Formats: sequence, C-alpha cells, structure tokens
Amino acid sequence: MTARNRRRGPSRLENFLVYAALAAALAFALLPLLWGLSTSLKAQIDVHKMPPVWIPSPPTFANYADAVFDVRFGRYLVNTLIVVFASLVLSTGLALHAAWATVRFRFAGREGILLVMWATIMVPGIAVIVPLYMASVDLGLYDTLASLVIVYSAWLVPTLVWLLRGFIAAIPYELEEAARIDGCSRIGAFWRVTMPLLRPGLLAAGVLVFVMVWNEFLIGYSLTLSDGNRMIQVGIYYFMTETGVEYGPLTAAAIASIAPIAVLYALLQRAFIQGLTGGAVKG
Amino acid sequence: MTAIARARMRILRPYLWLAPALVLVVAVSFWPLGYALLQSLHRSDYLDLGTYVGLENFSRFMLSEAGLERAWNSFVLVVGTLAISMPLGFGLALLLDRPIPGRNIVRTILILPWLVSNTVAALLWAWLLNAQFGPIAQALNGIGIAMPNVLTSPTWAMPALIVCNAWGAFPLVMVFLLSALQTIPKEVNEAARMDGAKRWQRFRHITFPLVRNTTLVTLVLTTLHCFNGVTIVLIMTGGGPFGATDVMALRVFEEGFKFHRMGIATAGATIIFAINVFFTVTYMRILKNEHGA
Repeated sequence: MTARNRRRGPSRLENFLVYAALAAALAFALLPLLWGLSTSLKAQIDVHKMPPVWIPSPPTFANYADAVFDVRFGRYLVNTLIVVFASLVLSTGLALHAAWATVRFRFAGREGILLVMWATIMVPGIAVIVPLYMASVDLGLYDTLASLVIVYSAWLVPTLVWLLRGFIAAIPYELEEAARIDGCSRIGAFWRVTMPLLRPGLLAAGVLVFVMVWNEFLIGYSLTLSDGNRMIQVGIYYFMTETGVEYGPLTAAAIASIAPIAVLYALLQRAFIQGLTGGAVKG
Repeated sequence: MTAIARARMRILRPYLWLAPALVLVVAVSFWPLGYALLQSLHRSDYLDLGTYVGLENFSRFMLSEAGLERAWNSFVLVVGTLAISMPLGFGLALLLDRPIPGRNIVRTILILPWLVSNTVAALLWAWLLNAQFGPIAQALNGIGIAMPNVLTSPTWAMPALIVCNAWGAFPLVMVFLLSALQTIPKEVNEAARMDGAKRWQRFRHITFPLVRNTTLVTLVLTTLHCFNGVTIVLIMTGGGPFGATDVMALRVFEEGFKFHRMGIATAGATIIFAINVFFTVTYMRILKNEHGA
C-alpha cells in the first residue's frame, strides 16, 4: 500500500477496532434496557429462573396488562400529562414573551435582568426543596398538582428564555416592522408574524418541557402525598417500595414509561437534541 | 391618553412583558434560597422557624464524622462518574466524528440512556446487577466468580452507583463533543497531516485545543448533575450499607423529609448551593474565555 492510499482510508484493522469499540459501547448502553425489556415480557416463574434467560419463551404481555392498565398507573399517567401540558403553557407562554422583550427592545437593566434569571442555573432542586415544601404547606398548595406546575415552570423559564431568544433573534425584525406599518401593534406583530415562524424553537421547547417534567422525581415526590396526586416516576418508585419488588410488572411499568419519550425521540431527533442541549447548558 | 402617558407606557412595555417570568423565577428559585439561609441558623420545630442557634446546624451537617464521610462519598461518586463518562463520551464522539457507515444509527442508540429518568435507570441497574437472578451474576458464575450482592456490599455499592450515574451521563458528553468536533473544518486537520503531523500530534495540538472549552463545560455539567442528584442513590442503596454511599444531597433530602430537621436540612442545602455557585462561576469563566478568544 502506498503512502497515498494509506492517507485516503483507514486500514482494515483500524476499522475492526472502531466497530469493536462501538459494539462495546452499544452493549453498555443497551444492557440494562434490554434486560428490563426481557424481564417485562416474562411470565412470573421465568423471572426467577436459574440460569436467567434473555429471550422469554413464549413472551407474554401479562406484565404490561398488569402494570400499565392498572388503575393507579393510569392515574399517574393522566396526572403527568396534565402537569406536562400546564407547565408547557405556563412556562413557554412566559418565556416566549420575556425572550421577545429582551431581543426586540433596548431598555435599562436588560442585561441585569437576564443575568438574574440565568443565575438560577446555580440553584439545584436539592438546595430549595425544603423551603419549597414548607412554603407549599403554608400556602395550602401542598399535595396539589398546581404546586408541581409552578415549580417546574419556574425552573424551565430561564432555560426556555435562553433557547427561544436564539430562535427569535434569527427571525429578521423587518418582518415585524412591516406588519406594524400595516397597522399591527408591536405585540400583535410578534404574535401574527414571528410566532408562526418559531415552530422549530417551540418544538425544541416542548421537547425540553416534556422530558424534564416526565422524568422528574424529587419535586414530584416531595410536594405530593396522596396516591391521587402522584406523577409517573413517583408512582414507579412506590411500585418498587410498597409491595416488595415484583420485577415483572415493575420492569413493564419502567419500559412503558420510557416508550413515549423514545417514540418522540425517534420522530423529532433534531428538536430533541436542540431542546436537551439547551436544557443541559442552562439546566 | 396624553402624549406623556403614552411615552411612559412605551418605556414600561418591555418590563411588563418580562415581569411575570421574572416574578415566577424569583419566587421559586431565589426566595427559597434566602429562606434556607435563615432557617439554617435556627433549630426548627418542624415548620416553625424555631430558636436561633448560630452555625450549629452547619457544623452538625458537615463537621461531624458522618458529615465528613458524606462529603468524601460525594467526592468519590462525582470523580468516579467523571472517570467513566468523560473518556467514554469523548472517545465515542471521536469515533462517531469519522465518516463510517452506520454512525447515525449508533449515535441514535447511544443517546438513549440520556432520555431515561434517574428513577428508571436506578431500577434497571439494580435489577441487572441482581446477584441472584441477573445475567451478570450468571456470566461471572460461569467463569467461577461468585458475585456479591453489590448494592448491600460496603465495597461494591459505590462502584455500582458510579456505573449507573456514568451510564446516564456519558451521552451528554458525547453529544456536546460531537457537535464541537463537527465545527472543526476538515481542512485544518488535512493541512497538519500534509505537514507530517502524526495522529496523536494532531489530536494534541489541533483537535483538543479546539474542543477544550466544550470538554470543560460537559465536565462541570456532569459534576453538578451527579453531585446534586438524590434519586439514583435513594433508589439503589438508600445511602447504605452502613453509610457507605451516604452522600450530601441524599442527606439533605433525608434530614428534611425523613427526620424533619429543617434546620440541618437547610444548612446542608446552603452548603450544596455554595458548591454549585463555585462550579458555575468557573463554568461562566470558561464560556467567557470562549467568546473572548
């Protein structure tokens, strides 16, 4: 092989090593998920079979029927969807207008206000959870879904402002100005002209809100008490601790709880990465 | 409306659109910090502020023997998680930056652990590592090693937590670095290659300096996520056995919601917040350098 050829492409050995390394990483990433999936499809006697088997024969959906169609699981699901939707409306509504105001207006204190808002990235949940619990009891919001919506929205707003500012700034201001010449108010121009063009940004924002609220445990656990107000992760935690661990139905509930996110991810990869990296930078 | 009133309205307008978001953020993030600081100086009587005790809660949280051990455990958990997730995420980003067939599907699958909640991650790892019915115990058994019950073993409980944390953390490192690597023009590396730079030299002197800042950012993000995390420890070991995996964040949670000693809990929370500030300020310095350079 000449030097020129070697420069052009990797050798066969190198290719082999690359794929071997990727295969090992894939195994690491998938092992817990596949083992959980396997267990969730097993009949109860096979869950504790020795030696363990990977492919259940025959696979059964009984665990999914037990876990997912359980009345309680249904309620957790509905609760979670309510909180996701309410948090989405509240946090995106507030963040969208805040982001717009800071992109399109110049005013005293603009940088300072943004800095104060973004400084909340330094405030982790564990640092404020106890005062939030005490306040929610004082205000009569303890053990309500509303308390969760308020806290989640407040945590999401700074990240969403960060994320949406980028998308708003990318849309030429001349479009809003043209609408104003046609008689729109400033906010009207934003609503009618810019907002429809923000669809990719709103999608990324929606993904961020959905994943954050869906996966959150600490606040959901600390600010609610009754079974009727549990979120999905909290419900899974109680499944795990209440009745002694039944791994068949438990893994079924766990896998089922991942499914909506995995499906959305498959459909909206771009928005997912945008939302999650925005969220990671400012979360 | 008079002209003056209209002008005043025009000045106020941006503040009006900004105010609701700001009020919510201040009420839910800053107010509790202030209250935590106040409460941490008092011996609480459940939800009442209680009597002033100075810094007693801080010393009880931090300076007791168990407190120092918890700080050490937090440190080990964070460093262990970084030691796995950083090289793994970085290495995978380098591999996936190459034009190899199938890299999109591999990348898509490798991101999955990032999307799984800490609750479910902890549950799945606990079950995978089960010494009686798990496939890993079975495989070890096959080569004549009896697997201990890792989650109740003082030696193995912490490594198990580290592996679970690293599993959830490496995709973030990979995604951030991959996007940083893809902003490096191919010509830069090509030119260096023409000049006879070896692969390691190119990495050392060209690639790495260009993604250094991104690397540091992912380092800080992973550190904080792991340091502040309660869920995985709570579910996998509950801080046990015998405090072997008791970390600072978990203790704050337990002081508050198990023992209802709000003074000690808020003292711990204040310490954790201070550590977060330290790391975030470092993080902002890095970002500033990135934009300044």
